[in-house]
Amino acid sequence: MSIPNSMRVGPFCASVLVKKKYLILYIFLIWISLLPAILEIWWYWQMLWVEERPLHFYVFLPLFLLVIYVSTVFSAIIFTKLLLLIISIFHKPREGTFLRDAADKDYRYWSLRNTIKKWPTWLAHKFPFPFLDNICFKLLGVKTKFSNSLFEGWVDTEFMEFGKNVVIGQGAIVQSSVIIGNFLIIRKTVIEENVRVGAHVIIMPGTHIGKNCILNTWSSTMVGQELKEGWIYNGSPAKEFKKNRFFEDIPIEKLTKTIGDMDGLLKKYDEQRVARVLKERKSLKRKDKEEKTKKENG
Amino acid sequence: MNEKIENEKKDIENEEDDSEFIIDFTTSSAINRVSLKFLVVYIPIFWFSGIVIATLWYGYTVSPWPWIIKLSFLPLLLFFFTLLFILSCFFFSKLLLIFINLIHLPKEGIFRTEKGDTDFEFWRLRTEIKKITLWLIRNWPLPWIDVIAFRWFGINMDFSSHLNDAWCDAEFISFGKNVTVGQGAVIMSSMVVGNYLIIKKITFDDYALVGGQSTIAPGTHFGKDTVLGAVSVTTLNQKLEDGWIYSGIPARKLKPNKYAEMRRDIIQKVDVDERAKIETEHEVNIDDDKKHLIKNNNGGDNK
Repeated sequence: MSIPNSMRVGPFCASVLVKKKYLILYIFLIWISLLPAILEIWWYWQMLWVEERPLHFYVFLPLFLLVIYVSTVFSAIIFTKLLLLIISIFHKPREGTFLRDAADKDYRYWSLRNTIKKWPTWLAHKFPFPFLDNICFKLLGVKTKFSNSLFEGWVDTEFMEFGKNVVIGQGAIVQSSVIIGNFLIIRKTVIEENVRVGAHVIIMPGTHIGKNCILNTWSSTMVGQELKEGWIYNGSPAKEFKKNRFFEDIPIEKLTKTIGDMDGLLKKYDEQRVARVLKERKSLKRKDKEEKTKKENG
Repeated sequence: MNEKIENEKKDIENEEDDSEFIIDFTTSSAINRVSLKFLVVYIPIFWFSGIVIATLWYGYTVSPWPWIIKLSFLPLLLFFFTLLFILSCFFFSKLLLIFINLIHLPKEGIFRTEKGDTDFEFWRLRTEIKKITLWLIRNWPLPWIDVIAFRWFGINMDFSSHLNDAWCDAEFISFGKNVTVGQGAVIMSSMVVGNYLIIKKITFDDYALVGGQSTIAPGTHFGKDTVLGAVSVTTLNQKLEDGWIYSGIPARKLKPNKYAEMRRDIIQKVDVDERAKIETEHEVNIDDDKKHLIKNNNGGDNK
């Protein structure tokens, strides 16, 4: 029901810190976004505090604390948005493959953006109701709808696009930027309407998932992979498992069928997961052997 | 003749259709379509349990103790205040749940994820109400007491089982004794597949063990001493037999669980060695035609 410590996924931005001086901006954001909260408390004190009759003050205090929390999240988002706008004047965020080095401008600004976004996303994610998260996503520039539930997984906060009714499973990772060796890859990830992403799925940058797709648990996609509309995917990297007909109007009795052919199913899974890996390994070994024999002969 | 052939063709088509509707994969049950109207439920829960704390805080501020004692006990007081806040959140959400269950009783089955479907709507409401207290308690330095919350919300379990490192639905799950659930495991008694919501009960027998990061689909049954390895997935309605180690995606038999036998040996040894073993025979006073129903522990036939 609730995400435990071992699966803790939010806040939704990478925590790569290229330069430590970015933390100054981060602390500045915390300071300035807490100022409105202090003003509100002062106003509340002025309004309702009477020494002889403190009933009103104490009765409405819990409700008021809730309001303060929500307003603090909003102020944090607004100030973050302002800072992001200022930064985008110096350097516009763009897709591409960049060097993972402090000398690279794109890499530096990617880290800076994430550092700035950390505070509002953390604050929004610390609230048990997901609507603050959705607002945070929307205001930080991710295209989402309020019908999406992105609360239980880890979702990147830039270069993302969601359709309606998307469900991200528990502990799933949906990212638009990834570090591989010496490179940082940023590519736009698009997830269209009615996609159901299973638990523990990893979606790499540049993935395009069509409408009405379902991803099985523990499957993952490759960088820039295209998933066709209306299929159920399985395996890593994801492969077509079967046609998705669960979005049709079907009588419920049909759904209660149990798996009869378990061995066949295991085979099907194995072909999509293990057999392919083994084949690739074998071919690699063969290549190695051929090269060795060539060297010996030569 | 033509009609017959056509009918057969139709039959074949229907059979093919049915095989496509078998759910042999596992998705997730993260709440589908969270609507803002559920915030209405959160506000009273927060407010009422906040008032409990506020009155106590008022009592603390007007109490006649010297300020040094007041200040020195403040950290302890804050700790207990937050604990009391969580417990009162428990109380009020349980109260709300009782009311909601009076209107609509939770039940297993397959439902449509549409706005008109009462089962779906009430499932969402229930999960949202349960989420708040479980979320609070898991962000709290004493997360072990989440067992209390799970028990209140209708999971059949006791303190010998551990699941506070896992994501777990809070209804239609029953635990035996000494069940261990690994880090990052996902136990779902509800699953959203396409346009359909599936709710099915999960049962764990005694000494079941779930590995880290594994996913358990609705309707799974764990036998006694069953072990599920790390990074494995069970499919819908899968039955795991007693005393076997399962692993893989989807879970398959790996080997018999010999560790469980070892544990039994240890327990038996303690019993036999430290105390004298006494064998007695009892005469059971029942009718002769029903004597065959008594199990004989010595393995021999009934006399």
